[in-house]
Amino acid sequence: MKKILRNLFIFIIIIIFIVAFSNSYSSLSMDNLAYVLALGIDTSTNNKLKVTFQFSTTASISESGSSKKSPPVVNTVEASSLSNAINLMNSYMGKQLNMSHCKIIIFSEEFAKQGISSEIYTLINDTQVRPSANIVVAKCDSSYYIENTKPELESLISKYYEILTNSSKYTGYMPNATIGDFFNGLLCKTCEPYAILGGISNETSQNPSTIDSQKDYTLKANESSIEGDTNSENMGVAIFKEDQLVGELNALETICFLSLRDELDNFLISVPDPNNAESYIDIFLTPDGSVSSKIDTSTGSPYIKVKAKFTGKIYSMSDNSNYLDTSVLEDISKSCDSYLESMFSNYLYRTSKEFKSDINSFGKNSLSNFLTTHKFDNYNWLKNYKDAFFDVQVDTSVKSGMLLTEI
Amino acid sequence: MLKSKIGTFEAIMLILTIVVTHTILSLPRNLLITTKSATIINLIYVSIIAIIISYLICKLLRNFPSLDIIDISETLGGKVFKNIIGIIFIVYFISSSSILLRNFCECLKIIYYPMTDITFILLMFVVAVCLANRLDFSATLKTNLLVIPLVLFSMVFLFVANTKNFSPQRIFPILGDGIFNTFVTGLGNITAFAGIVYLYFIPPYLKEPQKLKKIVLASTGISAIYLILCVSTILFMFSSFIIANEISSLYSATRYIEFGSFFQRLESVFLLIWILAFASYLSIVLKFTMNIFKKVTNIKTKKPLIDIFGLLMFGIAMLPENLAISEKFENTIYPSLVIGIVFALGLSILILANIKHKKGLSNEKNIT
Repeated sequence: MKKILRNLFIFIIIIIFIVAFSNSYSSLSMDNLAYVLALGIDTSTNNKLKVTFQFSTTASISESGSSKKSPPVVNTVEASSLSNAINLMNSYMGKQLNMSHCKIIIFSEEFAKQGISSEIYTLINDTQVRPSANIVVAKCDSSYYIENTKPELESLISKYYEILTNSSKYTGYMPNATIGDFFNGLLCKTCEPYAILGGISNETSQNPSTIDSQKDYTLKANESSIEGDTNSENMGVAIFKEDQLVGELNALETICFLSLRDELDNFLISVPDPNNAESYIDIFLTPDGSVSSKIDTSTGSPYIKVKAKFTGKIYSMSDNSNYLDTSVLEDISKSCDSYLESMFSNYLYRTSKEFKSDINSFGKNSLSNFLTTHKFDNYNWLKNYKDAFFDVQVDTSVKSGMLLTEI
Repeated sequence: MLKSKIGTFEAIMLILTIVVTHTILSLPRNLLITTKSATIINLIYVSIIAIIISYLICKLLRNFPSLDIIDISETLGGKVFKNIIGIIFIVYFISSSSILLRNFCECLKIIYYPMTDITFILLMFVVAVCLANRLDFSATLKTNLLVIPLVLFSMVFLFVANTKNFSPQRIFPILGDGIFNTFVTGLGNITAFAGIVYLYFIPPYLKEPQKLKKIVLASTGISAIYLILCVSTILFMFSSFIIANEISSLYSATRYIEFGSFFQRLESVFLLIWILAFASYLSIVLKFTMNIFKKVTNIKTKKPLIDIFGLLMFGIAMLPENLAISEKFENTIYPSLVIGIVFALGLSILILANIKHKKGLSNEKNIT
């Protein structure tokens, strides 16, 4: 009898747990969920914000090898807050929105200028949103950006979003800006947040009328001359001061930004040819160790000394090139040094004087100058950054050409 | 009395259980709030003090071989005093573990079981703990011996896997909120070494009591390294945790672990390990609580007490109306309990008992 009672008790306990936990399991079942791949936030005329959701469809996540592309579903809703927008979309879709596969969050430029802290806090508060989701500030409406993002080489749009920032390591044209870093940047006393600058290529493309390699580096998202079906392009950095968009960096400045943050494996750059003032040489540069910065905070104007080392290989070849001659290589190295120094200086003064935003996190290197947090807080780094002075020293060692060394 | 004896390594892991379970929730952030960027220095300082205190306990216990603090309090102040001390330790064990359980279950509810009532998540642990306690204590000890090293390894893995996200410069300003705050106010961070409480209870159950000193030094040392590792991970990764509060700062750190696009979302593995560590911790607490109760009441068998104490744990865990109240207990009342009971009361009993013991010896000598 005792054994029967014990077994009955165990059986009842098991049933209770099955019933109690089934709600959570069924609510997380794939059949009941609508997976959001991209989230776009724009300003709205009728309400506070317009939110665009891009969903994966069952066919679009199938990896059966079918050549048929199933376009992802894009829906838009206007609401007073992000949470309300999600709720409204929940009722419209008949499925619960799940953000655990959301790879990209896009804010329109107009919306980002007004401040995005409450949206970022809401998203970070959501257990489903990954801290690795990328943040993009689109130079057009985010809904337009999402609708026109049609990867040519990827059948799965989620895969495209996943590898979106891979090129940043070797081109340096865009950062791998994530919502986790953005949130940290918002609450940080030594740095400011930043995002990827995005746009649609065929909207306001400016085709250069003259041939100038430097023009390629001054391009930003929405300005490149790329013609293709992918449409969306991401190039440059969106700079924030606290939670408001205050400026943009072009491709060359983005290289500076990533170099100074030690987030670049290698990059290609055109430096003036020391033997011909009108032409440029393309050099493939690799950072030689990490960039060092020393910060003097003895006055209210921080003095920031930056030292960077690069090794390079000459990428472009022309007639009469001789890259086995050490004097030629030295001349090119010197040309590289002065070019990079002016490039870094211009970029740094732009972040300081124009944007007043320490997106390079120099502030964290200044922390060692203070003994206590109280003294650092009193110094008010983020406010004083606008008065900063920079001294950039670049040491480049151009080693050789690539396969060809002499023509 | 416990039938099974505790081995040296088992005892070290037993003491580490308390530290491990508290770090899963708000302990790292609480340490960081108190001493900010100076937390690592503070932890080194506090660890030295904790080692000294543990060593002192070890020395004080030497005069009372195979006696725990309940027996010692009986020799010091008689049966009434023993009962009072016993009840104080029972209240401490049950209340601290129950509220910690509640906080952990709230964390699980938010992350994995949004539609399940907190009652059932709590019950899941309580039932598991009650079942584990019906088995021999060696079963719990052996499980603990597997789980705790796994948690320690997972923490090393968490640290190593996140190094790419670290900014070691955040160790500065080196003195945090100042010398006074780091070395005087920051002394309160010694509550992180609450595992010392087991030192009062394990001597009678040790297989090799002569190795108590080794157990004390090893467990406090490992706790210190573990705590420094946890705090460093949070301090170097997030600038935000001193301002923002997350339900579990270490869980947030696990979300950043990625190895390419294949190995992602490893936080589920961490949570699984932490669930096991929690169940193990609760089983140990329940076992020690019942032992104290048995000593206080002189009952012959403990088995009927398992469900009663399990339900008591469940009831106390259900008491806080919301997470804010249970967090407040963990962040404000619990540290005071640790200082008051583990350090002040426990040490006082041992010191007074030693004085009495010495007086007794000198009186004996005088008589002879």
